[in-house]
Amino acid sequence: MSLQAADLNSTPHSSSTSLNTTLVEAPTPQNPTIALEKYKKKDAAKVIVRFRAIGNAPILKQNLYKISASNKFQAVIQFLRKELNYKASEPLFLYINSAFSPAPDETVANLVKCFNTDGHLIINYCTSAAWG
Amino acid sequence: MTAPQNPITRAIWDGTLPIKFSLDGTEAAELGAKILVEPYFIEAPRCSYFPLLTSQIRKYFVDMALNFIGDDAEIWYDVDGIPLKWHYPIGLLFDLHTGYRPDSNSPPPLPWPVTVHFKNFPLDKLIRAQAIDATQDFFMSMIKEADFLRNGSTKKVMNLSKNDQTQLWDGLWSSSSQKYRTENYDRFWSVNYRLVINDGQSPRHIPLRIYLPDNCNPLTLGEVLHQILPDLFPSSLPTENAFAAPVIHGVIPQLNIPIIWASQNLCYPDNFLHIVVLLGT
Repeated sequence: MSLQAADLNSTPHSSSTSLNTTLVEAPTPQNPTIALEKYKKKDAAKVIVRFRAIGNAPILKQNLYKISASNKFQAVIQFLRKELNYKASEPLFLYINSAFSPAPDETVANLVKCFNTDGHLIINYCTSAAWG
Repeated sequence: MTAPQNPITRAIWDGTLPIKFSLDGTEAAELGAKILVEPYFIEAPRCSYFPLLTSQIRKYFVDMALNFIGDDAEIWYDVDGIPLKWHYPIGLLFDLHTGYRPDSNSPPPLPWPVTVHFKNFPLDKLIRAQAIDATQDFFMSMIKEADFLRNGSTKKVMNLSKNDQTQLWDGLWSSSSQKYRTENYDRFWSVNYRLVINDGQSPRHIPLRIYLPDNCNPLTLGEVLHQILPDLFPSSLPTENAFAAPVIHGVIPQLNIPIIWASQNLCYPDNFLHIVVLLGT
């Protein structure tokens, strides 16, 4: 970026079009609002979630599901409750990698990025606190 | 046990924010307040959490003869209409919601004005706290999540004795008490030191979260007028617009009100925000 600018200064009659193109393509954040929008764009990708029952929790017929990465973890909790036909009053605990429970407002995209196993997000569920 | 003396972690532990808690006006009337309820001021540790302050805030307002009989978990807080996530540390919420740049020339917006609500918990925006222990559970989950990132497992946290695990939380929980600040620092950091130092092993990953600005700087009335009528409003700031003023409903509103708020609150029945521009004296 700075090299190109220096070139231009030494040859003031060079084509301005080419300079404009390089300016637009340059990774320098010309406009923080546009940069921010880019980073805030929702992840449209689908990710694979693998459910594993722990203890005496009921087992699902199917344990692999594809869900949108932009979902909040809360959506995963609600989905599992629906699949298991669990009422809101019945206790259900979800953990990642048999280790911790993420905040319900965490995005699935972040969880997959940080904690996936062979590309899958492993979610353990049980009816009493297991790794509390 | 005493914690290793580290002036940086100590200074962060001692960091506080003056906060002004006001009761939501509509709720105050519903709760039977006959007179204007004075706000409650507190100097809260930046590293603490709102639910840890709830019992003393509740006591203050209940002592003002408010007949709130619900659970502490029903109490929630907001800033400019945005509900505050109770599972975020207070200092983080301040930095996130005020959008105050410490390198700016203006003084920080202190005491931080926060509104207290006893009713209508916004279930669509905040996680429901089932019990008062929920904050502790969340906090311990975060510690485990961080440990998992550092080591690929939560072994280091799980191998802490029950007593050590409790000490982490107790140190934090009691941190708002000025009197025992050193004791609480020692309680927390004597245990946490072992987690962050990680037995001298370099961590696999660094646990970190990045927060991008969000609704922090909503478009203001001043900015809108400046964009549409730059010659009449050469700046979006009230002090620099000496020769023109907007009038809405016979009132000159402040130029720093968010335009979305103005639209929702100041529009005529036809849903339009009618702004009359008047020139200076």
